Amino acid sequence: MAGETLIRQMAAGDREAFGSFYDRYASLVYPLIVRIVRDRSDAADVLQDVFWEAWQSAASYDPSRGSPEAWMIMRARARAIDRVRALRRRGETFVAPMDEAVSAAPDVLGGDAAERAEDRGIIQGALGQLSVAQREVIELAYYAGLTQTEIAERLKQPLGTVKTRIRLGLERLREAVRRAP
Amino acid sequence: MSHDVFDTLIAIYAVGALDGNDLAQLEAHLAGGCDRCEAALRESHEALAQLAPAGAGATSPAVPPEVKAELLRRIGEASVRRRAPERRRWVPWVAATAAAMVVSAMLTGGFVASRYEARLGQMARETTRVRDEVRRHEETLLAQLEVYRRVVELLGDPATRVVELRGSGPNAEASGRVVWHERAGGLLIVTKLPPLPAGKAYEAWTLGGPAPRPAGVFTVDASGQGSRKLEPAEGMPAKGFAVSIEPEGGAPEPTGPIVLASR
Repeated sequence: MAGETLIRQMAAGDREAFGSFYDRYASLVYPLIVRIVRDRSDAADVLQDVFWEAWQSAASYDPSRGSPEAWMIMRARARAIDRVRALRRRGETFVAPMDEAVSAAPDVLGGDAAERAEDRGIIQGALGQLSVAQREVIELAYYAGLTQTEIAERLKQPLGTVKTRIRLGLERLREAVRRAP
Repeated sequence: MSHDVFDTLIAIYAVGALDGNDLAQLEAHLAGGCDRCEAALRESHEALAQLAPAGAGATSPAVPPEVKAELLRRIGEASVRRRAPERRRWVPWVAATAAAMVVSAMLTGGFVASRYEARLGQMARETTRVRDEVRRHEETLLAQLEVYRRVVELLGDPATRVVELRGSGPNAEASGRVVWHERAGGLLIVTKLPPLPAGKAYEAWTLGGPAPRPAGVFTVDASGQGSRKLEPAEGMPAKGFAVSIEPEGGAPEPTGPIVLASR
């Protein structure tokens, strides 16, 4: 059954539809959440929040504004980033000064060697179409939740350069997805 | 502004990295409705959604099984609360929670709403005041423009002459000029005449016949300036002009003190 139909049934209070919806989309969003928040128990909390929200806001889903996949991914990414930022803020307040906290943010390009090899293996998809510099800024924004200003500071690049890289990177990503079947 | 700026901003917005003035600028732009940006945003989100599973690593982490069970439990609980409020043990708890939620929503909502309503009301009043002021300024400027236009028109004719008026009595400081054309009439411009109390007005007179002829009633502004279009004095050449203080509606012949007169 199409995701769209499931969401409509959820909006009508159909718990079975919710079960099917969960089975279909949990495995899509969970890896993204883990990637962003890292900690598995935090990720489980975020996963629950994301689906609880989906259940409650099913009635406001508008298929003309995006696919169910995009609807769920956006929500998952947003809640995961919220979690990371909250943790970072707590860290800033009680432990680390600001710049240390920023550099302590999940290092998407670093990670341990195994993880990096793993990433290299699978990013032969759309991200592989991007230059290293473009990939870097998009990952810092999308997975680490840094703003353009924070990215510029972190990379020690002018803000204008960061903006252009994000735009070109995203354009290339869109093209790659458009070309894909 | 070229849309190129927004093409960049919308991309940064799509990856959630827009901040500061850029964010405010784009949000204002989106609030105005922009199909191009909406489409770009939609497409970007779809592209990023495609990316998600690839970004997670080859061995995708297994979804923790307890989450689904917990969610189904929450949903069941919520629907029990919704559909079966008669179940005794729920009532006090649900009622207390609901009451607390209502009160807190009312407090927050009411507080926020009243703040914004007050602010909106204040803004509406300011807007009305500014609009009225602008309209008054506009009317004044248009009236002045009309006076200047008429003076310029009259002065273009060689038959036009300018007659000086001098203040008399307590208004020695006051002065005036009449730009006069026998057939077209003229324009009286006065300065430093005191504004008059209610019920009184200045009246202009054309001199030259057996008796002064009424030429029009006018008032002055707070700075003592005023002007009055004068009708041509038919059947007699105007030899001079005068201004007196008269009742508001004007008088057929001068009754009040003369405040300005030509020599």
